[in-house]
Amino acid sequence: MKSTAIGILAILLVSAFCVLLLLTVDYHGARGGTDNPYLAAGASETGAVNLVSGIYLNYRLYDSLFELLIFSMAVLGVRFYLNAEKSTKPNVARVAESPVVRIAADLLFGPIMLIGVYLIVFGHLSPGGGFSGGAVGGTGLLLCAAALGAEVVARRFHEQIIEQIEWGILLLIILFAVAPIFFDRLPLTDLLPSGRVGKLLSGGTIPIYNGLIGIKVFIGTWVVIYSFIRHRGEI
Amino acid sequence: MTARTVLLLLLPALAIFSLSQRRRLTAVMGMGLFSLVLAATYLFYHAPDVAITETAIGAALVTFIYVLAIRKTGRLVVVCDEAPRLIARDGGEIVGLEQEIMHGFARELGLDLVVRIVPRDDVGAALNRGEADVGAGGIIREVQKKAELISMGFLPSALYRVSGGIVKDAKHLRENEEYFEDTLEAIREQRSLSMTLDLARFLAASRLNLSNYAVERIEGEFSYCFLVSQDQPELLIQLNAYLTRLTESGEMERLIERYMS
Amino acid sequence: MDVANGVTIAVILFGVGIFALIIRRDLVIKLLALGLIDSSSVLFLVSLNAQDNGIAPIVHGPGANYVDPLPQALVISAIVINFALLALALVFVMLLVERYHTTDSLRIAQQVEREKRS
Repeated sequence: MKSTAIGILAILLVSAFCVLLLLTVDYHGARGGTDNPYLAAGASETGAVNLVSGIYLNYRLYDSLFELLIFSMAVLGVRFYLNAEKSTKPNVARVAESPVVRIAADLLFGPIMLIGVYLIVFGHLSPGGGFSGGAVGGTGLLLCAAALGAEVVARRFHEQIIEQIEWGILLLIILFAVAPIFFDRLPLTDLLPSGRVGKLLSGGTIPIYNGLIGIKVFIGTWVVIYSFIRHRGEI
Repeated sequence: MTARTVLLLLLPALAIFSLSQRRRLTAVMGMGLFSLVLAATYLFYHAPDVAITETAIGAALVTFIYVLAIRKTGRLVVVCDEAPRLIARDGGEIVGLEQEIMHGFARELGLDLVVRIVPRDDVGAALNRGEADVGAGGIIREVQKKAELISMGFLPSALYRVSGGIVKDAKHLRENEEYFEDTLEAIREQRSLSMTLDLARFLAASRLNLSNYAVERIEGEFSYCFLVSQDQPELLIQLNAYLTRLTESGEMERLIERYMS
Repeated sequence: MDVANGVTIAVILFGVGIFALIIRRDLVIKLLALGLIDSSSVLFLVSLNAQDNGIAPIVHGPGANYVDPLPQALVISAIVINFALLALALVFVMLLVERYHTTDSLRIAQQVEREKRS
């Protein structure tokens, strides 16, 4: 049978490819301890206790900038392609609303948003950061939309202002990151005092970036979810 | 065996399980579970940041948009086997009496009509699996077992039993040909078969040479009907109301005259 | 270095993902396989420098055995980006499915061919 032959051939080729990948892995590149430049000087230079945040918001800031751009483009694409179509049909069958969802949303919405804000604000002191905090906030809003209905939540959010805020924040992040080049300095590391490792108000510009990225990802995930719901019918 | 190894070994098992599913919903749920186990694995690799991000993204958001995307909204899915004059292919389109009825019904509900042609025995199975809403294609009301919900009859019919033929090969003696087209082909090639055909199919088959077959008409009153999948009883009520309205307004008469004469 | 370490499992998952991408004809399952390939790449990067008794790179003083923070930093934004791109791909799959009323990639290709010919 043709399909079994294709299946067997595919398994053989994929296995050969995987074996080739495994044979070329180099396990001896582990750099730990003082050999690693990030671990050696990271905390004092960036001022962030969470070294991961310190790396992608200080040493590798421009990487994160471009990734944020990709994220914005993807969100823009989703919104464009889903709103260019016709809106949902008037009498699409709705799933019966259950009181469990509403009660759960009542109880859980507050803690979820609180956790999201905590992840964003304390991103330089404990695991978290802008990306995770924004995603968790988006999940909380998703719970709210499931309980109340997406239209209600969207109306509260004033759709026009949300778009402007989203692009405004992106512009702000870009300016913030690129401006010091014109002022002949390294990216601002001393907006907030960076010497005090472990205190909340430390870490140079890292909390500011975390906040801005958090808001951006939060709004982006909400736009994606809302476009999907509007296109396919309410939950 | 550390906990990390156990989790790591669980990952390919979950991935293979969920990507080999037939139902898309099960596959999406499986991948959501895979994301959760992956996030736990990241914890054991001393990467809490990555674990938090993977949980928030993979378990909640990705699963949600997949479930939204694969919902069956806005479509009325009809499965049938071909029955000439009732619901049959004509070039690229599907025409027939039942197709007209279904089209009007779907338009009244505000849904898209999707017709899928499946083997005759699969109609009931597809309805039970939830892949379709309505079963059509010349279903005789009195013969149908009580597995699915049955609408009211809308057109009287008759049953004919066709059997015999030249036995070319013992293999070719099949009780129920899969699609109606196979039956026509069997008659054309004069293979042996033993089939019960309803009126529409019998009329189509009798245009071929039936001299080698014994044809007997089965006694009784029969009528055509539709099947409705069992988890949509309100759809059955709506369908019955629609059929009643069609009969009362005379539209049914016009359709029958157009297609069955 | 035992057999079931993260790198091997990540490559195996990569292979499973590619295989499912080739073999399954359902568009949604193909997208799930793409997501699996993404996740396996992330797992590969995170588990490459694994140390058995390391600590997470939250620096609270010198002398502890911290895990290398660089791959984790690279991979965090990658996860969020993957989600956004997956959403975009899903939008196109949805539009295709609504146009051709089937999720079977082979049937969609045949119908596109037919439309192109006529």
